[in-house]
Amino acid sequence: MWSQVKQQLAESTARFLTRFADLLPGLAALIVALLISIVVGCILAAIVRPLLSSMRFDERLARWGFPSVAEWSPMKSPTLLVSRAIAALVMLTGFLIGIAAVDAEWTSQLARSIVAYVPNLLGAALVLLVGSVIARFLARSVLIGAVNLNLHYARLLSLGVKWMVVVLTVAMALEHLRIAPGIVKLAFGILFGGIVITLALAVGLGSKDLVTKSLERDAQKASGDNQEEPFRHI
Amino acid sequence: MAVESTPEQVQEKIEQVDSADLVVGVIAEFDDAGLAAVCAALGTLPGSPRVVVLRDERSASPGQSNSEPAAASGSACHLIRWPLSGSGAPDTPVVGVAAAYQAVFAASQKFGARACCVIVSKLEAATPEWVRELAQPLVERDLDLVVPYYARRKFEGLLNSSIIAPLLRCLYGKRIHNPMGPDLGISRRLFQKMLATERGGGTGGNRALSLASVAPAALCENLQVCEVHLAARVYPPTDWTNISSLLAQILSPIFSDMERNAACWQRMRPSVHVPTIGEPVSVSQDTGTVDISRMMESFQLGVRDLQEIWGLVLPPSTLFELRKLARLPSEQFRMPDDLWVRIVYDFALAHRLRTINRDHLLKSMTPLYLAWVSSYAHDLETAGSTAWEERLERLSVAYEAGKTYLVSRWRWPDRFNP
Repeated sequence: MWSQVKQQLAESTARFLTRFADLLPGLAALIVALLISIVVGCILAAIVRPLLSSMRFDERLARWGFPSVAEWSPMKSPTLLVSRAIAALVMLTGFLIGIAAVDAEWTSQLARSIVAYVPNLLGAALVLLVGSVIARFLARSVLIGAVNLNLHYARLLSLGVKWMVVVLTVAMALEHLRIAPGIVKLAFGILFGGIVITLALAVGLGSKDLVTKSLERDAQKASGDNQEEPFRHI
Repeated sequence: MAVESTPEQVQEKIEQVDSADLVVGVIAEFDDAGLAAVCAALGTLPGSPRVVVLRDERSASPGQSNSEPAAASGSACHLIRWPLSGSGAPDTPVVGVAAAYQAVFAASQKFGARACCVIVSKLEAATPEWVRELAQPLVERDLDLVVPYYARRKFEGLLNSSIIAPLLRCLYGKRIHNPMGPDLGISRRLFQKMLATERGGGTGGNRALSLASVAPAALCENLQVCEVHLAARVYPPTDWTNISSLLAQILSPIFSDMERNAACWQRMRPSVHVPTIGEPVSVSQDTGTVDISRMMESFQLGVRDLQEIWGLVLPPSTLFELRKLARLPSEQFRMPDDLWVRIVYDFALAHRLRTINRDHLLKSMTPLYLAWVSSYAHDLETAGSTAWEERLERLSVAYEAGKTYLVSRWRWPDRFNP
């Protein structure tokens, strides 16, 4: 009995050690692939960064109509964002190559699921990009329009519009990514409704003065006190 | 507008009138008797030219006859109803006037006219003779562009006085008081050039561009320009809710034109007078105090809330001066001319560089424009009857003095940023 136990133990230990020994070259390959990819990624980033700087990439991007990219970028520099993204991509590739050395089947499954998820990622990124551009455009339109109408809460109105579009955009992007759709819908409803109520209250309270002024002007007009303005612009 | 798209009934009348020496497009409000008087006045032009008067078909009221009151048989003046304001309803008066210009140019080309005039304004205490005065230099002296020199009150035509006239004077070197008319007389040479520019896509799809481009096109081509003294225009009352849109519609084609004519205006020398015809017409000036609180409030709001946008357009020194101005009490508020001039130049440059959306850019200029108007109103509130002319002359001189700043920033927008 004891000899059988010993034999089983020896066999399982031998099996484990054999499998571990089989894995060791793969692990070593993974570490080497990772190290190489880190070095290559850093070198590529170091080449790309001055190249983009010399091309004035940050200014050009803002001029092409994507100033919001700078806001998301590290240290507000899209150049840094691009160079780091390239480095991260190279490292990810190195990691996948390393994983393939450990277990080819697992890697192919992982690759398949990642590839299947790529359209969702791209869709979400596009929604975020377009949403950001629209949010900025609408916020500016509302801000300028409200200032030209002499509204004292112009900035609040503009911020409200911007955040409404941003919240809507983020909710749509998360829906694309299939991340907790139930929670996202609920959170979106609460946030969107909250912003609308806040804006309605702010505008309602802020309009008191406006309505008072308007009524005063009407009263002055009716009493004939109000002299016609002499200014003619065109 | 292409002549081929002319409605059938108009086409029939074109066939009746095969050619003309002078085409006059009328979009101002004239009744039948008024138009007959205009025709009669044009009939006394030297050389008895054949005249075609195009009357906007939309301007005719239901009670008015659909016939041609002045086109009696044997008369040298023919009256034709014409879709001057375009096929659809114009979005704004500015767009309507621009469409009328395009229609009149196309019709003049069709009739092989030597010259054309566009009559947009209603003048105070004026007889239809003034249309003749506008047309006469074209027919008699073979000039290329006749611009009006309206008698005016100090607070009228402010956008023209503060930006359009001094800017074009500084850029193109000719002292024209109303370069954008809107009532203009134009020779064949010039309207053919305008049509060619339009066909070549030079308008960039901007319908208001043709009106803003007329004077610069004439000046860059060294064509003959003169001014004619006319009575005061009747200006539409200010629509305060729409002023930023008007500013954008009027300034956008001017700034676009600056971009197209950069090679021309950068070599222009200091300005000179253009010949003036007729006698100045006197007009009673406004007296008493004016309320500038609304405009001041708009400027202060702009300084508080539009810093983010102005910061993309204006250099830090200008922003600093604007913040200082916003803190001044209303009675001490004065915007220095050189500051205003630099602001206009910086906005023109930002328009060229597309720093931000062009519509946003120009609309965000409204509080600054109103600040200038407030300052101007302060200066002239109690001033004498001729003080406003001296005040505007000082402003024009400031524009000319600041031209080196504009040229430097235009040529080296990244490097030259004070």
